[in-house]
Amino acid sequence: MAHAATFENVEKTYRSGVLSRSGITAVKNVSLSIPAGTVFGLLGPNRAGKTTLVKLLLSLAAPSTGTVTRLGEPIRARRTLARVGYMHENHAFPRYLNAGEVLHFYGGLSGVPTAELPARVNRWLERVGLADRAAEPIQRFSKGMVQRLGLAQAMLNEPDFLILDEPTEGLDLLGRQMLREVVAEMRGAGKTVLLVSHVLGEVEELCDELAVIVGGQIAYRGNLNELIGIPGPERRSLEAALRSIYEKGAAS
Amino acid sequence: MTLPEVVRTTRWMIRDTIRQSLATKLFWVMLGTTVVATMFCLSISVSIDANDKPSAEFPGMLPRSEAEKIGIDKVREDGIAVVGGELTLGFGLMTVPIVRSKDDAVMNLMLVMVGLVGDAFGVLLALLWTAGFLPQFLEPQSATVLLSKPAPRWVLLLGKYLGVVGFVALNAIVFIAGTWFALGIRTGVWYAPYWLAVPLLVINFGVFYSVSVFFAVWTRNTTVAAFGTILFWLVCWSINYTHHHMIAYPFAGFSGQGSVFLDIAYWVLPKPFDLGGIFFDAMNADGFRSKTDELKLVQQAGRFHPELSILADGLFAAGALAIAGYELETMDY
Repeated sequence: MAHAATFENVEKTYRSGVLSRSGITAVKNVSLSIPAGTVFGLLGPNRAGKTTLVKLLLSLAAPSTGTVTRLGEPIRARRTLARVGYMHENHAFPRYLNAGEVLHFYGGLSGVPTAELPARVNRWLERVGLADRAAEPIQRFSKGMVQRLGLAQAMLNEPDFLILDEPTEGLDLLGRQMLREVVAEMRGAGKTVLLVSHVLGEVEELCDELAVIVGGQIAYRGNLNELIGIPGPERRSLEAALRSIYEKGAAS
Repeated sequence: MTLPEVVRTTRWMIRDTIRQSLATKLFWVMLGTTVVATMFCLSISVSIDANDKPSAEFPGMLPRSEAEKIGIDKVREDGIAVVGGELTLGFGLMTVPIVRSKDDAVMNLMLVMVGLVGDAFGVLLALLWTAGFLPQFLEPQSATVLLSKPAPRWVLLLGKYLGVVGFVALNAIVFIAGTWFALGIRTGVWYAPYWLAVPLLVINFGVFYSVSVFFAVWTRNTTVAAFGTILFWLVCWSINYTHHHMIAYPFAGFSGQGSVFLDIAYWVLPKPFDLGGIFFDAMNADGFRSKTDELKLVQQAGRFHPELSILADGLFAAGALAIAGYELETMDY
């Protein structure tokens, strides 16, 4: 089975202090694979190491030990980033740009062909409901509007692998619905989505498989039914299942 | 990454930097400075009673008041030009007597425009104003999406650097063009070497902006980038001047290791004092203004190498950018 991403015995320690002598280990001995064509959930309490895994995947940080691959190639091959879309919870786009300029800028840097860029920008502005605000400086945008723009930015290069880090933060009902539709379309097209979220309903609704990370280590990897049971009277809530994993992880 | 991709990414970053400078009103502030300088030039007029040219054999000139005491005809017979006139500023608000030819008076003003307004005031101000561009760009919240794009980080940094230098170059062109036309229209003196100030200002800014880039990547702090660079400029200027002073006026107490150390520091660090001397020569300013003794004596000693000086400055800037690029490439976000 092809994998959109793999982590093999990965450890990440963030160095600090004089001569980098002190450090904080964010993830340790992580081995994990994200199958291509799935919607994969990554869950865990705060400071568990979720964002570090995302950063490693996006080449924003380098692993201290171990190997990480992205779309079949080592993460040092930056060209694969042209096939990745990334949306995170706190976008801080340059405040001097308007919505259209933001999409042109990030689309251009993602490698979208110049000739196709205007049409794609218009299409995504329309899709996220910002077509009538395209010329407005984004400093006037609400958090939800910036999130919508973030989604458009992530989808502009028609990615094979979409990474969503707390994507619904600040989105209204319609925005959440739109995001779910985009994820469903990605799944339908056989593409991969990595969803990092604290919103359990979203994870239950969208994810085919999931991993739970606690204290920098993978505490659970499997599909949703294995974790909470098949639908029926015996099924427990995802919240209860996760609480049990978190407590076990914290105790160990 | 292929060369066309590097070019494309660099182009996007340059375009973004120009937008940033327009949005932060920096362009308009710099344009405003140019407008003030141009208005100042438009307010100038020069009137000369006599505009004799000194003979090649006995170059020199005397103010009319002095020549009258000796006898104007006799002075002229000796090949000495008699000059006398006045320069008015602020559309006649202020009058200054001048004892040089009209061409020389205007060229002297051009030298002041570039040396004082452009090179010292303008470049330092541009370094202060643009110091915030990179720390803003490198802020983790805004950089994570940008750095997760396929372009290598060093290309993004290079694009930003070229964007800022290009923006300052544009302003330098506008400044020189404005003041050159204004002085030409008002005085009739159209002195083309004045345009050599454009590369001079851009080189000077570009070299020191590479230091600002280094500080910005290292600390992501606008204050450190701004004042660290200004402090570095002062250190470089002092070392450059001291180096020439020690050659011009050697003294026994300073030799051996100290001299070698100063030589190394001079060649490794940027040389802002040299750039001023290079422009002085490019303007053929010897005829109307005296050069600093240090520069004159260093040139006479054959120890002034303008081409090597500029080359060393370029290598310094490339080195500072390479270190900053490496630091950014290996930095965790």
